[in-house]
Amino acid sequence: MLLGWTRLGFIPVPTAAGNATIMHVPAIIGGVMEGWIVGAIVGTLFGIFSFINAVVPMFKDPLVAILPRIFIGITAAGAFFALRRFHILVALVAAATVGTLTNTLGVLGMAVIRGYMPLNVAIVVAVTHGIPEIVVASIITLAVVVAWRRVETGRQKAKM
Amino acid sequence: LEDFELLRHITIGQYLPGDSIIHRLDPRTKLTVFLMLTLVAAFSLSYTANAILLTATLGLVLASGIPISYIFSGLRPALPFIVALSVLQLLFYGDAYTPYGMASQTLFQWGWIHVTNGSVQLVIVSLMRFVVLLFLTSLLTNTTPMNDLTHGMASMLSPFQRVGLPAHELSLVGTIALRFVPLLAEQLEVILKAQASRGADTAGRGRLRFVTTARQAAVLIVPLFADAFRRAEDLVLAMEARCYTGGRGRSSYVRLRFGWIDYVALAIGLAFSVTMVAMRNWFPV
Repeated sequence: MLLGWTRLGFIPVPTAAGNATIMHVPAIIGGVMEGWIVGAIVGTLFGIFSFINAVVPMFKDPLVAILPRIFIGITAAGAFFALRRFHILVALVAAATVGTLTNTLGVLGMAVIRGYMPLNVAIVVAVTHGIPEIVVASIITLAVVVAWRRVETGRQKAKM
Repeated sequence: LEDFELLRHITIGQYLPGDSIIHRLDPRTKLTVFLMLTLVAAFSLSYTANAILLTATLGLVLASGIPISYIFSGLRPALPFIVALSVLQLLFYGDAYTPYGMASQTLFQWGWIHVTNGSVQLVIVSLMRFVVLLFLTSLLTNTTPMNDLTHGMASMLSPFQRVGLPAHELSLVGTIALRFVPLLAEQLEVILKAQASRGADTAGRGRLRFVTTARQAAVLIVPLFADAFRRAEDLVLAMEARCYTGGRGRSSYVRLRFGWIDYVALAIGLAFSVTMVAMRNWFPV
């Protein structure tokens, strides 16, 4: 039954109201909770939103705004499912870290390739933004997934 | 209390009603031409090509009747970033970029600041490309209601259903996402007020205390997600109760129809894009 798809529609939404530091978190959560395809779709939607709303030249380029975002959910899901057997919390933190890195490095990498930013500036941005983003993303991903699992086990199991 | 008003800031391509030629085009035509012109803009490196594109898109904007001041109105808060990035490009990108159609030439050098005609071209071309893409996205989203866009997207993706792409479901996801943006923004406002009334410090942003920032955000995001998932479950249940079974054999309430004007627009768009891409290395500067 494909009705699980409708649930996806909700995941990208918190991005619309969030600030720049946590915009990519829904893609990570989508990838972790529903698999890499969902992660890719949520990431793509996030990319399209940020492309349409962009007010900075860098993000008005589809190659910078959309392309790297497709991979956030995919890499996050990959990290999560590779480490899940080891420990679920470790896997979640790893997924958030890998997903955030994909976003930061992907976008900055494309920005450098497309000539919007010199390499050394990009490295500074990657360090100053990347590290806080990883911490914030890990905490929020952890909090949301753990909270939702508790809600889910408390109620009847969701139909998927 | 202004911090709590989120709905105002959420404008994902506000539709501006109108009756221009561009308003009347089929959404599929607009999407196709939009994609083609976006690609052309992404691959145009020279002054000439970007000037041609800028003129063409400006003509389309004038024809659509969208006020140009409206298009640029969202830019003001981002202006410092735009200027800062341009200055960075201008000062530090000199050696890394070979200019199009010119020999590399140093215009100004002082310490490690290095301005070449390449970096000047880079700055001007990226700004022109930015304006072109700004015009293009406005043309698409300000003249087409969001629902028409998703219907158009679904019908354009439907040929790929043969190879297993769930076109109907994808457009369903898109529609739901857009539908619930205002609802969830409202919900976020409620949560914000609820947490603030309990004394939560949601507005203060520590620059370096990012664990604090994350905890402040988590206080809002966790209930929001829980609420979003709960609403999603309810929606699934409601749809199942109404025997919704997905896309196969389903007819649509909205029927899109191609008119002669769509074929003309498509032909012009295609001819323009192909010429621009084919000619991209022939422009003098």
